[in-house]
Amino acid sequence: MVPTLVILATILLALHSFGEYRATVSQLSERHTHALMTASRLMQQSESMLGSGAMLLLADDHFSRRQALFEIADRREWMERLVDELAAIRGEAGSFDDIERVRDQLMESFDALDALVQRRIDLVGQLQQAPDETSDALLRETERLLARQMRTNRSLSQDLSVAIGYHVSGIRLDIRDAAEQMEQQLRQREGALKGFALLAVLLLLATAYHINRSVVRRVVKLQRVISRERPAPHELRVDGSDEIAQMARSIQRYVHRINDNERRIMTMNRELDFLATHDALTQLRNRHYFERELNERRNALAAEGYCVAMIDIDHFKAINDTHGHEAGDRVIRCVADRLRRGLPESALLARYGGEEFVALLPGFDIDTVVPMLEQIRQGLESHSIELGETALRVTASFGLAQQLPGGEFDEALKAADEALYRAKRSGRNRVMYRWLSQDDSGDAAYG
Amino acid sequence: MGDAFSRRLAVVLLASLSFLAIPGLASQTPLRVELQLEPPHLDPTLTAASTVAEALHLNVFQGLTRIDRHGEVQAALATRWEVSEDGLVYRFALRSDVRFHHGKTFDSAVAAYSLRRLLEVENANPQRHLFQAIRHVEEVGTHELRIELAQPDALLPFRLALSAAVIVHPDTVHTNRSHPVGTGPYRFVDWERNEGIRLRAFEAYWGEPPAIREALFTFTPNRVELENLLSEGAIDLYPDASSLTAHMPLMQRADYVIQDGLSEGEVLLAMNHGRTLFQDLRVRRALSHAIDREALLTIYPSIDPPLIGSHFSPRHPAYVDLSQRYPYDPERARKLLAEAGFSGGTPIALTVPPTQYAERSSLYIASDLEAVGFEVELQRVSWGEWLRQVFTERDYDMTVIAHVEPMDIDIYARDDYYFNYHSETFRELWSRIEAQQDPAERHRLLAEAQRHLAEEAVHVFLFLKPQQAIRKSNLQGVWDDAPIPAVVLEELYWE
Repeated sequence: MVPTLVILATILLALHSFGEYRATVSQLSERHTHALMTASRLMQQSESMLGSGAMLLLADDHFSRRQALFEIADRREWMERLVDELAAIRGEAGSFDDIERVRDQLMESFDALDALVQRRIDLVGQLQQAPDETSDALLRETERLLARQMRTNRSLSQDLSVAIGYHVSGIRLDIRDAAEQMEQQLRQREGALKGFALLAVLLLLATAYHINRSVVRRVVKLQRVISRERPAPHELRVDGSDEIAQMARSIQRYVHRINDNERRIMTMNRELDFLATHDALTQLRNRHYFERELNERRNALAAEGYCVAMIDIDHFKAINDTHGHEAGDRVIRCVADRLRRGLPESALLARYGGEEFVALLPGFDIDTVVPMLEQIRQGLESHSIELGETALRVTASFGLAQQLPGGEFDEALKAADEALYRAKRSGRNRVMYRWLSQDDSGDAAYG
Repeated sequence: MGDAFSRRLAVVLLASLSFLAIPGLASQTPLRVELQLEPPHLDPTLTAASTVAEALHLNVFQGLTRIDRHGEVQAALATRWEVSEDGLVYRFALRSDVRFHHGKTFDSAVAAYSLRRLLEVENANPQRHLFQAIRHVEEVGTHELRIELAQPDALLPFRLALSAAVIVHPDTVHTNRSHPVGTGPYRFVDWERNEGIRLRAFEAYWGEPPAIREALFTFTPNRVELENLLSEGAIDLYPDASSLTAHMPLMQRADYVIQDGLSEGEVLLAMNHGRTLFQDLRVRRALSHAIDREALLTIYPSIDPPLIGSHFSPRHPAYVDLSQRYPYDPERARKLLAEAGFSGGTPIALTVPPTQYAERSSLYIASDLEAVGFEVELQRVSWGEWLRQVFTERDYDMTVIAHVEPMDIDIYARDDYYFNYHSETFRELWSRIEAQQDPAERHRLLAEAQRHLAEEAVHVFLFLKPQQAIRKSNLQGVWDDAPIPAVVLEELYWE
């Protein structure tokens, strides 16, 4: 705002200065030119008077005499007006008495000259018609007087020129003064203009600095924070109450909202992921997850070796039928719990079907795993499950197999399933496993 | 908020800029036209001084018709006119888009008012006698005028084009003398004595806007000053440069052009027939023989205007050459004067108005008159003094003057004219001329009138005044001839 006003003031000052300059120049050119023209016309006329005087002096008839008189009268009339004009222009700058006095004397001198010329013409006429001595003498006397009058005339013309010259000089001084005054004013105005211009530049710089500080820097900071992948809302804080601060607060709110949404989506994703890989009842991994995992670990498993166990709750259908689904679910949860607790951390345990579980034990051999399974089986067998007022004894059958040399996991799993089948056939509640022989050809020996 | 403020600032800035810029626009130098004779006032319907017409006719004031540069009658405020078969009724259709400079509209009521005013004796229109045939003026609707004549007058459209018949508005008839208001392309701005009359283009003019936007008519009777102004180049147009002594040097200058042309002005050495001296026909004839008119023409260094022997323009078809009726013969003049009882030394005053042709002619005339025995006193007077002393008060012996109105031989039939010439024969002749409708017969009568004036040697008829206009070489559109006294600014333009 302030710089605009200063610039405006500078422009107005410049325009004002130009206006004054123009006015002064036009005044100089009009008033002084007029004055100078008037004075030089006056000067010219006063000098031309000499010529007109000569015309009068040389007149040898009344025609030429009158012609000269007409011219003198015209010059005189114009000179009178020129003197009036000059007096009006110059005001009190000088006395015009001198001019007027000399001019009047000059006019009187012209009248005298005219009378003498008139007499001479008449005398010459008379002498041409009838020469006589008196006239001749009179003519000589007239010629003498004429010469004297002409000298007076000349001297008066010179006096008039000098008197006018005084005013010409005065006008020249006026012009010089006016020019000097104008130059001085212009110089002052130039200084003021320079000052204003400098002030305007400084104010512009200050404004630029201020804008840089108050706007550019804050915007750049904001932009940097926003362009980060995960801007922290507290970093988006901008002080003040201007548009930039308001904008920053809006951005902050958006970032907050985006972060909240992201968190919610992550949680939902995790839940969805859990649901996709776990069994809702037992919280164990589901069969889908188990198979995907196996597929992914195939190479690693082949290298380090593994055991695989299939577990099935005995007479589960009867439990379900007798005690209801809820009791069945509880039994499944209890068995799952026992299995989780009884197997090492590294085991991949999953619910494989209705009352069937599968466990992959990477890096374990049958000798290590059998006791674990046996312990679990015994734990089940020795602890009854409380179902309201009844306590239920539940057992499970275990089929175990280990990695077949050169064989795929599916084959080991099949072997475990076969072992489970054998355990079921052998009276349930037992751990059956398939021995691995040197030349395992599928006719396995079970223990 | 900030935006609004900036906008306001911009507006203020622009406003200040425009405010500061405006004064620079209005500085166009006006066209300066020099007319030499300061007009007595500015109403052409009230004065015979042609300088009023020169400055204002066709510029400020317009008539129903106008005369063009070739002397032909053209439409002006009337678009067309019809005359009845018996020649006694004229119907003028008037323009409907004309406004006076003070804003009032022009219509048939204003036109009728203006013409009725022209006919009223008490209004002293200098050319009222030209319209004596008009019996009745009547407006027909708002834009038609019907003029009834007592006897046919084929010249009516021509007469209506003269400066005395311009249309004036009733609102301004009393102020037109100092502040003229008309319908022309220029409106009056101001008139300061010694400064001139300033006219400016009238924005609401009904015709094409003129190229010259402003004009200043100045009046410089002093020959020395006038020639000085011309040599300084201060004057753009001086329509009557014919007899300047600086004529030849000015002709050599590249910035000036001198156009040769003729006016309708008969230059007369007019005599006051009220003076006993001039009541003697022998004296008048002696004067006609005494003046060497051929020698007089030397005041025109570059043109040879026709000599005249009566008050009639050689350009008129009815002209009779009587220029040699009184050949230059001082001997015969002296004899005639002696016969009339004047032996020599008779004092005679020659009143000289401040025109170049009059001043310069008067020197020759004075010498010629002295050569036949008169004792001449040259009285140089201002134009105002001439109008008062000679034209109005008729207190003069002789004067040199040009009568520039076209076809004005009828002035010799007037009782109240400054010549104090009263001739029953001529008056009777003039009424026959006016009544005559047959052009051939009319021309014959006009020839008779010319002869009558010549035989009577009413004045010394000198020559037809040349109209040599000196103009800046890039100023175009100046009339060559002056069929009427007018400087038609509308037709001028800078090249």
